[in-house]
Amino acid sequence: MTEQDFTEEDQGRAAIAEYVLGLLGPKAHAEMTRRIEQDAALRRERDFWVQRFAYLDNQVEPVGPPAHIFSDLETRLFGAQKRASLWDSLALWRSVAAGALAVAAIAVGFSTLQPRPDSGQLANQLVAALQAEGSDVEFVALYDGTGAVRLTSLSGHSVPGSDYELWAIQGGHDPISMGLVPIDARTTVELTDAVRSGWGEGSVLAITLEPAGGAPNGVPTGPIVAQGAVTKI
Amino acid sequence: MQAEARDIADLISRCALRDRVAFRSLYDRTSAKLFGVVLRILKDRAETEEAIQEVYVKIWQKADRYVSSNTSPISWLCAVARNHALDIIRARRPISEDIDVALDIPDLSPDPERQAEAAEDGARIEVCLATLDPDRADAVRGAYLDGFSYEELAVRHSVPVNTMRTWLRRSLIKLRECLTT
Repeated sequence: MTEQDFTEEDQGRAAIAEYVLGLLGPKAHAEMTRRIEQDAALRRERDFWVQRFAYLDNQVEPVGPPAHIFSDLETRLFGAQKRASLWDSLALWRSVAAGALAVAAIAVGFSTLQPRPDSGQLANQLVAALQAEGSDVEFVALYDGTGAVRLTSLSGHSVPGSDYELWAIQGGHDPISMGLVPIDARTTVELTDAVRSGWGEGSVLAITLEPAGGAPNGVPTGPIVAQGAVTKI
Repeated sequence: MQAEARDIADLISRCALRDRVAFRSLYDRTSAKLFGVVLRILKDRAETEEAIQEVYVKIWQKADRYVSSNTSPISWLCAVARNHALDIIRARRPISEDIDVALDIPDLSPDPERQAEAAEDGARIEVCLATLDPDRADAVRGAYLDGFSYEELAVRHSVPVNTMRTWLRRSLIKLRECLTT
């Protein structure tokens, strides 16, 4: 068999496999990176190989890095003063999760005071407690099973020149804005189609502090002041 | 997506939201894997300790780009680690001429079903590698897992570099045929 037995397309696809394997020299590699960025078909081909070869990662023996690496990394990313805060504590976050269940129980208590929904609707009801360490902003979110989330603010203060914005984070997708939320009132937020398509247990609701009017490009820019995963009641 | 993969995907998304707790969690769950990937290529612990930090800096900075890639979250993370390690060794290699690379790629016809299959049957790559001559399958593995260059592969398999190039390209074309049928 000679090279001529292969089509140009075959050879082109093989070149992308070579690129993914890291076999191209520096100049060709940089040039291919540029071309792939500009061409969706080439990106698909790259993703094809990345995904297929990825199975071979299983053959690599995991090796635990030394303990100091993470704190070095944090210093590098966030600066020395940010290290070792409560913000980093996994234990704390587990207790927040436990707290969320307690809040959920209270929420169920509240919801029984309201007109009794039919049983099918109850089965679809979801709740989330939104909080974060270092922030006094707390919300409870209740999903009524019909397409709207009722949001009740438990604590927090409005910040002049800023607004709180609610986000849905689901699966591997970008956060989707669910709009601005007032800090001292109840609000009802209708789920948009985009949110609804991934909605369910495990969806995460997060509230960030954004410039007045909300995040300018539909991408959160501010700190998370409260967040919580949605669970079944 | 499996539960583990979905958790990792959530953590990456939360990193895109600048959630440091999620970052810590992501590091705790994935660093041994990525450290292994980088160490296997760099073969030097001190270098790997430095490189793994750079890898996680990239992950933190590029977390939002994960969404646009068509790969599973763990593959994406391994690819960031692997590519960083490859960049390091590529920069260190003597400049070789980039001969004979088909950079002008004709329009590729899409075959959309492929991606779904890829996610379902990861092990197929092993099946397809087994259809190649063992030597050539070893060369593909050596390039992927150890980051060997054509020159290194040629020495290891005692063949001229050009022969190795021809071998490997043919193997990749065959591999693709097997992976898509």
